[in-house]
Amino acid sequence: MKNTNNIDELYREKLQNFEKDPPSYLLENILAATVVNKKSRKVVFWRIAGVAAALLLAFVAGWQINSRDQVELEQAIVMSKNQATDAETEKVIPSEQKLDSKQVESSNILVAMLDHSEQVKSSKSINPISVSDTEPSPSINETSLLKPLDSRFIKISDETASIKRLQERKTKEVTKDLAEKSIDQQIMEQNQQLAMAQNPDRRKGRWLVGAQVSPAYNVSNSSHSAQYASNMLAAESTHSVDLGAGLTIEYKPGKRWSVQSGVYYSGMAQSSGISGSQNSKNSFAPGLAADYVNTSVNVDASSNKLSMNSTAGVIELKGVPSQLVLGSKLESNSVTPAVFASDVQFTQNFEYIEIPLCLRYTLIDSRIGVEMMGGFSSNLLVGNETYMQGTSGKSLVGSTKDMEPINYSGTMGVGLKYSLSKRLFLNVEPRVKYYLNSLNSNSSVSYKPYTIGVFTGLSYQF
Amino acid sequence: MEDFKPLISECIAGNQKALAELYHHFAPKMFGVCLRYAKDATEAEDNLQDGFIKVFANLKTFRNDGSLEGWIRRIIINVSLEKIRKQHLMCPVEDVSIYDTINFSDDVIAKISADDLMKLIQELPPRYRLVFNLYVMEGMSHQEIAQEMSITQGTSKSNLARAREILKRKVHETFGELKAQNNYTA
Repeated sequence: MKNTNNIDELYREKLQNFEKDPPSYLLENILAATVVNKKSRKVVFWRIAGVAAALLLAFVAGWQINSRDQVELEQAIVMSKNQATDAETEKVIPSEQKLDSKQVESSNILVAMLDHSEQVKSSKSINPISVSDTEPSPSINETSLLKPLDSRFIKISDETASIKRLQERKTKEVTKDLAEKSIDQQIMEQNQQLAMAQNPDRRKGRWLVGAQVSPAYNVSNSSHSAQYASNMLAAESTHSVDLGAGLTIEYKPGKRWSVQSGVYYSGMAQSSGISGSQNSKNSFAPGLAADYVNTSVNVDASSNKLSMNSTAGVIELKGVPSQLVLGSKLESNSVTPAVFASDVQFTQNFEYIEIPLCLRYTLIDSRIGVEMMGGFSSNLLVGNETYMQGTSGKSLVGSTKDMEPINYSGTMGVGLKYSLSKRLFLNVEPRVKYYLNSLNSNSSVSYKPYTIGVFTGLSYQF
Repeated sequence: MEDFKPLISECIAGNQKALAELYHHFAPKMFGVCLRYAKDATEAEDNLQDGFIKVFANLKTFRNDGSLEGWIRRIIINVSLEKIRKQHLMCPVEDVSIYDTINFSDDVIAKISADDLMKLIQELPPRYRLVFNLYVMEGMSHQEIAQEMSITQGTSKSNLARAREILKRKVHETFGELKAQNNYTA
């Protein structure tokens, strides 16, 4: 043996190529674990696919409810039109139809209304939803409207059944995997769980509280009856950016799933305005300003309130705003019996307190985690104000009528969760929110904006 | 160098026989490595098991341009190091300065078996065992060891010196007979 005085050489010579057969059961364990790893990857894939399908299903279900509302609205419009054709006079604002007789009698300003109603009637021939001469019976109408709903329902049932089958198959796979695990592994897992349970430091909290803020990009989405739309303020923009903030609480019963709720404040704005200088009716109103609001103004003589149609619903003004001049009987053939003479912009602000109920699923559980979420929210209307922006500034002029005091929305999103410490997390989560019902109860208005927001905040686990 | 490419392909496809064949080819040598890094045979078995599970899970990342044995060995060593890190057993121990000059004769060396040496190395404190293995058996430099174990080079050198002296003392206590000479360097 060379250089035997050196302990390094001694070890190198004797142990460098040292071999020893390991116990035979090791190979069995290794092969079993390798198979389990492969299968668990497959199970994880199916689990993610299942969650995605469930969230998609919730989203589609929301759309279904959404489109059912739409059909009901269309039906209401058809019925409303039938009634309107029979009547001699038409109102500018359908929601006020019950007060028709009283209003016509008492109004001294809307003298050109008959001409206007004739104009509206003639325009119906262009309208695709116009009423035919022979009225269809309501029962036939209802049947034809219900059919597509039934077929949609069947489609959803099929999807639900296929997801159920998928989950059953998944459960079978998991059961098979468990059966394939050796008894040793099961014992090891049990010991691990026991150790986790006995060591409180290693147990993670199940509750999370947090605070969030979100810039929300609201996209206007509305439809109106033709009659309503013919006398409506033009939408100034189809979107607005508003801020929201709130508190969240989350309960996490398992490693992946959690339920989240909280209280959230959100704002939404809808702008309407006019580019009146292009209006050809200027020539008939030489005494007034060159620009005027291109909408009919309805005046309720009993309450002395002015109102006009907008994208989000009927704006009810407290009085005649100082920046406006009310004109009437401008010309005998006028479409607009009474108009505002000015170039202003109306902004309808709505404020909501939201109480969400969401399901969250952790896709990646690491320092930078990824979560999917989907759920519903009850939204309470707490603010409803209409502002007028003119040359002399902004002033509160009224509110929007018939706004639903409570409505419901569906939401879904994918977010990142960054672990700042063991208990503190930074969340960034883009979400899409859509309203399940119209925010305005007026049967001629369907106002359901979409909201895209990036919810950013901190959460604390305890 | 033996071509393992076809066997690796079979293993990646999940062929159990291929996995077993690959295991049988390398397991004895790797078990020898595990025994050197572990405190006893049980820990060595655990490390070998965890190591091969990792090897099989990552086979598709192995590029055939290098040595398969070297690649597997690296994984096994990493698993062994990780195990000791997790156990928080990296504390240094006892003063062994009095054994600085102990060396052994050829006769003593001849009657020591590999199993005896293995037992002695397993009895070393974890950090000394790691540094000794990485420096003497894997041929790593102190700089590499320092990076691997997140310690300074000075600590690595000191740990190696202490490991050597403990081993010498134990060989002396077990097998007797010494001769005064010291010709190694750190």
